[in-house]
Amino acid sequence: MRASENIEQFGYRQELRRGVGLTDLVSYGLAFMVPIAPFAIFGLVYSRSGGMPVLAYLVGMIALLFTAASYAQMVKAFPLSGSVYNYAGRGIAPPVGFMTGWMVLLDYILVPCLLYLVASLAMHDIVPDVPVWAWLIVFVAVNTGINLRGIRMTVRLTRMMIGFELLVLGLFLLVGVWALLQGKGHGFSLSPLFNLETFSWPVMFAAVSVAVLSFIGFDGISMLVEESTGGSAQVGRAMRVALVLAGLLFVTQVWVASLLVPDPNGLLSQDSGTAFYDAAAVAGGEWLRNVTLTATALSWGVANTMVAQVAVSRLLYAMARDRQLPSFLAKVSVRHSVPANAIVLVSLVSVGIGLWMSGRSDGVDLLTSLINMGAMAAFVVLHVSVIVHYALRLGSDRLWSHLVAPLIGMGILVFVVINANVLAQMVGLVWLGAGVVALAVLYAMGRRPTLDGMPAEAVRR
Amino acid sequence: MNALPLHHDLYLIAHDQSGRPLIHLSSMSLGLAGAVLLDLALGGRVAVAEGQAAATRRAPTGDAIADGLVSSLLRHRGGRQLRYLVKKTADGIHDRTREALLGSGVLVQVSGRRLGVLPYTRYEPADIASVVRASAGARSAVEGWKQPDARCAALCGLVAVLRLDAELYLDQPSARLVGRLREIARDSSPVVGEVVTVVDALVGEAAVAVYR
Repeated sequence: MRASENIEQFGYRQELRRGVGLTDLVSYGLAFMVPIAPFAIFGLVYSRSGGMPVLAYLVGMIALLFTAASYAQMVKAFPLSGSVYNYAGRGIAPPVGFMTGWMVLLDYILVPCLLYLVASLAMHDIVPDVPVWAWLIVFVAVNTGINLRGIRMTVRLTRMMIGFELLVLGLFLLVGVWALLQGKGHGFSLSPLFNLETFSWPVMFAAVSVAVLSFIGFDGISMLVEESTGGSAQVGRAMRVALVLAGLLFVTQVWVASLLVPDPNGLLSQDSGTAFYDAAAVAGGEWLRNVTLTATALSWGVANTMVAQVAVSRLLYAMARDRQLPSFLAKVSVRHSVPANAIVLVSLVSVGIGLWMSGRSDGVDLLTSLINMGAMAAFVVLHVSVIVHYALRLGSDRLWSHLVAPLIGMGILVFVVINANVLAQMVGLVWLGAGVVALAVLYAMGRRPTLDGMPAEAVRR
Repeated sequence: MNALPLHHDLYLIAHDQSGRPLIHLSSMSLGLAGAVLLDLALGGRVAVAEGQAAATRRAPTGDAIADGLVSSLLRHRGGRQLRYLVKKTADGIHDRTREALLGSGVLVQVSGRRLGVLPYTRYEPADIASVVRASAGARSAVEGWKQPDARCAALCGLVAVLRLDAELYLDQPSARLVGRLREIARDSSPVVGEVVTVVDALVGEAAVAVYR
């Protein structure tokens, strides 16, 4: 069925200008994921995975390919711009949508904090005289200014950003492989992919719980479904292509970096936030360290925050418009056409949490785990949505797509969540509990969750 | 007597005396599109109900944007969704409205160079009285000097949605003024309330769009 027909089935008509093709959808997904994302968390993944970051990224990619498949199914069923909040609400029931939105909010609202923190750490490495907290305030101030002025990513800017990141990555790989051929590092080895001495499933899933951070953002492609030239089918395809491309890029860079780590045993026992840059220095010297650090600061601290800000604003706006969050979050500045209240809220949260985390030695680790916890929980519900909507409600006989694949994807994610950082699990549970309380308050106030444009009978169903 | 179409009045209110837009063009375009639709609906050329719009008769208004919209609706017998229509009409409406106002002499083109170097072109009101006239109805309605008709109520609603309340130069707190303007629109007629609500929602969605 063609996408436009599909939309009209739900009482909607094609509204947004369809002008984004497969390449642009994939570019947007890559921009959100950041092709050089492992630069910042390489040390953490290396240490958690027992020196097998390549395997951790491969398992992460496979887990999220199942998630992408479920996204594709839900986008097909409800071809409307939205997030997992929308799909769970429409696919299962509005209260489930609220709880899913609440969990994914943990991910969305903390992503800018992590981006600012990582960028600040990178800049602090380049200019050690300026403390991390000062860099963090600079990054938040600059980005808040950009966002409040209504400056937005464009298709062209997205492509330029990807080009810049790929250029830096290409440079690192070229110099890295050349260095390995010259006998630097530890020479070629399969141990970053598999090492029997350190392998165990709990270790691997704990590493995956960190590594998946690099893939978070592929789901942002679903926000462009109404602008996609090929409709929902193209969105599903773009998600798969973006994930596989990102996976290949991540695997390649962490493999080369693993072979160049100056002190593998030291990194295994104590993770280092600068492990990737140290490996770059081994390969090419201080200039390559500075290039990779600068690329991380610019990609995470400026470009990616612009994309992340739009995503979190959309979620806050959608939930507030549906009266599931305070209404001030649905107010926008007409002067600059921006969700000013949401931007200011996210900036305040970023400064507060960012400053707190910058004082903790495990700040990046904890933020990463919390973000992944929110995303994984929401993705689990997404799989459930596919099963409920297709297998149970519509009685679909497509067992693989509508039952087996979501169950496998859900199973992997549950293992990842079980083996994640314990503190992150606790905070995740507290956040979930707060969500239940918020839902109860909404019911007590007579404001049971509903979704914009959803017919009343569907809400009651 | 004000002979300008509703979207021309809104255009004048939404720009300062030097022709600079007071709000973001994406928001303004949606407001202008809503104004065109409201003018047609209140003039009996388009029927609006339950989120849908359909042309009722072809009677040229003399305004290219409005006549184009009616023609487009006549090609779709089943009507169109309001949201779709407002978005579609918003595309390029700002420049087209400006050209129409230039053509009718309400605006004049002013060119020059900043610091003697950087070239600029402005589109200023030829006579400030046209701007005063554009907002006079809304001002009278808020102050209670005159009972607002449906057209005036529609303008009040769009001024509230686009947060152009300061341009009415009324000595009232902004929140109260916006509330009053919305109330006037809501109480006027279901058509006005419906279109204004759609424009309001679209302005919000434009603010959180991935790409502009």
